[in-house]
Amino acid sequence: MKTVKALILTGYGINCDYETDHALKIAGAESDRVHVNELIKGDEFGRRSSLTDYHLLVFDGGFSWGDDHGAGVILANRLKYNIGDQIEQFLKDGKLIIGICNGFQVLVNLGLLPGFDGDYTSRKVALTFNDCGNFRDDWVCLKTLDTPCVFTRGIEQIELPVRHGEGKIFAEEAVIKQLFDKKLVVFQYATPEGEIAEGRFPFNPNGSLRDIAGICDPTGRILGLMPHPEGYNHATNHPDWTRKKEELRRKGRSLSEEGLGIEIFRNGVRYVKGTLL
Amino acid sequence: MAKRLEVALKPDLFDAEGESIKIQARDYFGIDLESVRLINIITIDAPLDFQQMKEIQTNIFTNPVTHISSFEPLNIEFDWAIWVGYRPGVRDTAGSTAAEAIEDYLKLPFREGDACYTSKLYCVCGKNLDRGKVALIARESLANELVQQWEVIEKSQRKLRESMGVRVPKVVLKHEPAVASISVSSDEELMKVSNERNLALNPRDIPTIRDYFLRQEVRDERIKVGLDQPTDVELEYIAQARSDHCNHNTFKGLFHYKDLSTGKTELIDNLFKTCIEDPTLEIQKKKSWVVSVLWDNAGVGRFDEQHYYTITGETHNSPSNMEAYGGSLTGIVGVYRDPMGTGLGSKLIMGMYGYCVGPREYGGDLKPRLLPRRLLDGIIRGVKDGGNKSGIPTPYGNLFFHESYLGKCLVFVTAFGIMPSRIMGRPSEKKTTSKGDLIIMAGGRVGKDGIHGVTAASEVFSESTPAGHVQIGDPYTQKKMLDFLIEARDEGLIAYITDNGGGGLSSSIGESSLLSNGCEVHLDKVPLKYAGLDPWEIWVSESQERMTVAIKPEHEKRFMELSRKHDVESTVIGTYTDSGKINILFGGKSCAYVNTQLLKSDFPQWEFEAEWASPELRGLKEPVIEEPEDHNSLLADMLSRPNIASKEWIIRQYDHEVQGGSVIKPLIGKERDVVSDAIVIRPVLTSNRGLAATQAVNPTYSTIDTYHMVAATIDEAIRRLIAVGVNLDNIAGVDNFCWPDIQYHPVSNPDGKYKAAQLVRANRALKDCCLEFGVPLLSGKDSMYIDGNLKGRYGETHKISGLPTLQFTATGVIDDIRRSVTMDAKLPGDLVYILGDTKNELGGSEYYERFGYTGLNVPKIAPNEVMPRYQALNQAVNEEVVASAHGIYRGGMGVHLAFVAMAACLGMEVDLDRVPVGEGSADDSVLYSESGGRFIVTIAPENRERFETILGNLPYACIGKVTEKPILVIQGIGRNKIVDLNISELKEVWKKTFGAMV
Repeated sequence: MKTVKALILTGYGINCDYETDHALKIAGAESDRVHVNELIKGDEFGRRSSLTDYHLLVFDGGFSWGDDHGAGVILANRLKYNIGDQIEQFLKDGKLIIGICNGFQVLVNLGLLPGFDGDYTSRKVALTFNDCGNFRDDWVCLKTLDTPCVFTRGIEQIELPVRHGEGKIFAEEAVIKQLFDKKLVVFQYATPEGEIAEGRFPFNPNGSLRDIAGICDPTGRILGLMPHPEGYNHATNHPDWTRKKEELRRKGRSLSEEGLGIEIFRNGVRYVKGTLL
Repeated sequence: MAKRLEVALKPDLFDAEGESIKIQARDYFGIDLESVRLINIITIDAPLDFQQMKEIQTNIFTNPVTHISSFEPLNIEFDWAIWVGYRPGVRDTAGSTAAEAIEDYLKLPFREGDACYTSKLYCVCGKNLDRGKVALIARESLANELVQQWEVIEKSQRKLRESMGVRVPKVVLKHEPAVASISVSSDEELMKVSNERNLALNPRDIPTIRDYFLRQEVRDERIKVGLDQPTDVELEYIAQARSDHCNHNTFKGLFHYKDLSTGKTELIDNLFKTCIEDPTLEIQKKKSWVVSVLWDNAGVGRFDEQHYYTITGETHNSPSNMEAYGGSLTGIVGVYRDPMGTGLGSKLIMGMYGYCVGPREYGGDLKPRLLPRRLLDGIIRGVKDGGNKSGIPTPYGNLFFHESYLGKCLVFVTAFGIMPSRIMGRPSEKKTTSKGDLIIMAGGRVGKDGIHGVTAASEVFSESTPAGHVQIGDPYTQKKMLDFLIEARDEGLIAYITDNGGGGLSSSIGESSLLSNGCEVHLDKVPLKYAGLDPWEIWVSESQERMTVAIKPEHEKRFMELSRKHDVESTVIGTYTDSGKINILFGGKSCAYVNTQLLKSDFPQWEFEAEWASPELRGLKEPVIEEPEDHNSLLADMLSRPNIASKEWIIRQYDHEVQGGSVIKPLIGKERDVVSDAIVIRPVLTSNRGLAATQAVNPTYSTIDTYHMVAATIDEAIRRLIAVGVNLDNIAGVDNFCWPDIQYHPVSNPDGKYKAAQLVRANRALKDCCLEFGVPLLSGKDSMYIDGNLKGRYGETHKISGLPTLQFTATGVIDDIRRSVTMDAKLPGDLVYILGDTKNELGGSEYYERFGYTGLNVPKIAPNEVMPRYQALNQAVNEEVVASAHGIYRGGMGVHLAFVAMAACLGMEVDLDRVPVGEGSADDSVLYSESGGRFIVTIAPENRERFETILGNLPYACIGKVTEKPILVIQGIGRNKIVDLNISELKEVWKKTFGAMV
């Protein structure tokens, strides 16, 4: 049986590679952590990696280049001017890309998102400093909208952790409108009751315009989001798990072990199996 | 000519950083600003042409969606502008990454000396501002003159505005590096040199040093390599190695201890050996999971058959006291190199913090170097950047306010790592250097920064403390290095690894060459940040983000290949030998040539007079307080006190979940806002085993008796772990002592003998508790001299000594994380139990502090009495009988019952009549006594029988129940309701103290 292969980028301050790797493996992918430089000049280090060997490319979270000069900016440049052609081919082949947190910042700086009308190079959306003026670690409720995104099929709402200082989606009004019109807004921050946050802190943790937490491109194969699905890889990652467990225990039931964030990766794996293998 | 690029957010965008400066100006100085907008300046000092400049402007530094930028001054309105840039030679990470980005984009490597520098221009608008006010903001909140330069610009000063960022803070040392020879003809002469060079040599060491260099056989050997009198390289080396910071002379000292009440005297030879080393070795014999202790950079415990965890704790007090942000950042980033340098290297999995500072709102006469608010904000921010940018979760910490820390703040940083138990078949906890191994320096470069750090840490802070040791850590550079070294480790390339911290290369190579018994180091091979460093500076510089690694020559090629892959600089700077000599060369000539054993030789032991005056002898008494009438207001006030109030703002800005293994978070409960007893992580993601960790600090008990301060602190840390489900048998500790100067001096330290006795008693408690609880000390550190000389209102100087402080960190493996519990009550109707006796022990409590009392009855711990409780509770947790468990700590039962209810957003009805108490108890002592060994436990009613069976005849009582209605109702002893408070209102009060902080 053919396997779904995922590449998780590492190096230069990226730091969510291990747990993202773990999450993808639970989701059924065969995943490798690959240093940025192995893609660019791997020959020099005894291991050249090529995007062509993979179906799913993950720009995972972290602080690439320390977030100096804008989160994700320098990594985006390094990729664009060294392996831009590989990435282009990867997209042409109908493969999947997911960018999480710092990875999302990379995607918007590369211009891979929002990818209006097949334009995968223009920077139209920015992720800028949180309105609260600081880095914030918290869990958020997300409402999933109706989009072509392949990663969110069957997920109506989900709780995930956010951990960032620059996660506020900003774009010109016309761009925001297009995002909604073209059904590219994948996640909006919501209240625990499932209502859209409408900018209210801390439900919307960063002041993101129209509560946008994640967007996809028109093909639905590229997803960028600020929250961390790999941060919910196990039931015990959830802040309320001890309460839930106790409530279930008294009903004679027990907590299932898998974290709900895995489903996002599993959707990606399913798509690859159904379409590319 | 350097080019200056100005970048700012588009005018219609909200400037969050500017906004926080506005808030800060109001908070710190009561100055109202209308607006603050920020301009980031990048100064590019490299020969790029117009086209190249344009390209990097557009493609790297300007986000078309959010930014405007220009090589000309941006036209952003201001009434006043403040420019802040780094001083020459200060680490400017953003400058370095800008250079990296440009080089990568243009495919054009910078030449030696080419660089980028960053600075900031704050454009301030506001009415009623004047130069004085704006300069105050610049000096006291935006810039620190130790590391930064600043300029205040008025609206009309156009020329000045235009010139900002054009100047380049480049280090130019017009100095020809040289080795100086130092005369050791007399003790006095050497002492003079020590003072002139800031070596901080102890007068007692001087004869030993002279004796060595004057010995005939030593002189003969030295002459053969072209040396005679000691060189500056050698003396600086010895001074570093002999500093109290590196050598722990105080703890290894000889104490003449006298109990003034009994007149009994004792001689205690070496506190470290008798109270730390011996007990730990004794416990190690009984606990097979204690893998490696007392010699390496961190202690090693077994996590499971395939993995070991590593742990260590450090302090970074002196630098943080001078430059809060840079100091704490360097502290956390620095301590992360310890687990990396343990065994063959462990991967970092967690960090923790502890801050002891003066009151944030301090408004008294003393003038600390940094405004207390600014100091605290800076410390918090430093650990944030250091931890978050390292990709290491920072899930737990303490913050404790006390005026005694105005003299010198305390910044504790703790690091945890994990490593495979075997690496390519080799036991990972072992490492050594052998003849022929290459000495490699990996990571950052060496500059003048961080020279004399350890000697400065071994002194009392004063205005003349040299600032050269203040640094700004660089987590980005270090993260690359850590990634690289883990990969090199996994390929089996590392023979030995250690970090470059205090003492720099002199310490890392000095210590590692003891194993092979010699080394040869070529200082001119060490990569420098800028030319012009003297050899001694290269040898002792504490420039950060560097590790020293020994590798076999056959691994050099692969090691360097991996180093390049990770974009990390690694350089072979010498070899290990078995010559018995540390041979340091510069320009091919020896500049230091000493026996490897020199520092192990007979330096005289430090001696201390210690006189213990018991609390009774010092006249301490219990205050006379009649029972309060208004318990509602009292409880609310207790919750709002700074040492009890919510510190959520700190916890939320620290990434406490990265690496994906968070199980019990620092903030607990329905609204995720009440602090957990401990945190639990799952460091091996494929396993359901967990590692719990916590820490405790109780310095106010020191005002009564440091013995009980230590015992209570250890008990608290252990209890915190028991509360989340750790078995006592699995618990290990780390002791971090911070103590004022204990060397008696009739004028400058008249209570030195008492402080020395406090240290002796503290160590005795450490020994007693560790042995009785069976808790091994996997690691620990002492940091002395937490004193400061501060100016008062009239220009007079006061010596302020920090309270004798122990931060105790406890950790332990949890077999199955799914059984761990949190402290929040779970469901209405659940029963509330108190485990353990509440004694009349209000001495040193938060309650007494509220009224300005010290008291006498400090909480006392009898480990043998409390341990059965801990085991019973653990059994109940393992049987899943317990719904919530929470220890009772500072603030007492009243405060902690409120926490359990507030976390659940449920009410509670309890009756103090049922609480197991000691003699002489009243409502206030039951509610606010800080007796150890106690828990609040809630259980489902159906578990009552089982739970009580497990507890047997231990002291416990069911004191009430959890209620749906969110009201805390407390019945007093023999009377009706004394507390009747709405939980959400109570929470509001608890959060209000620091409610404005983000």
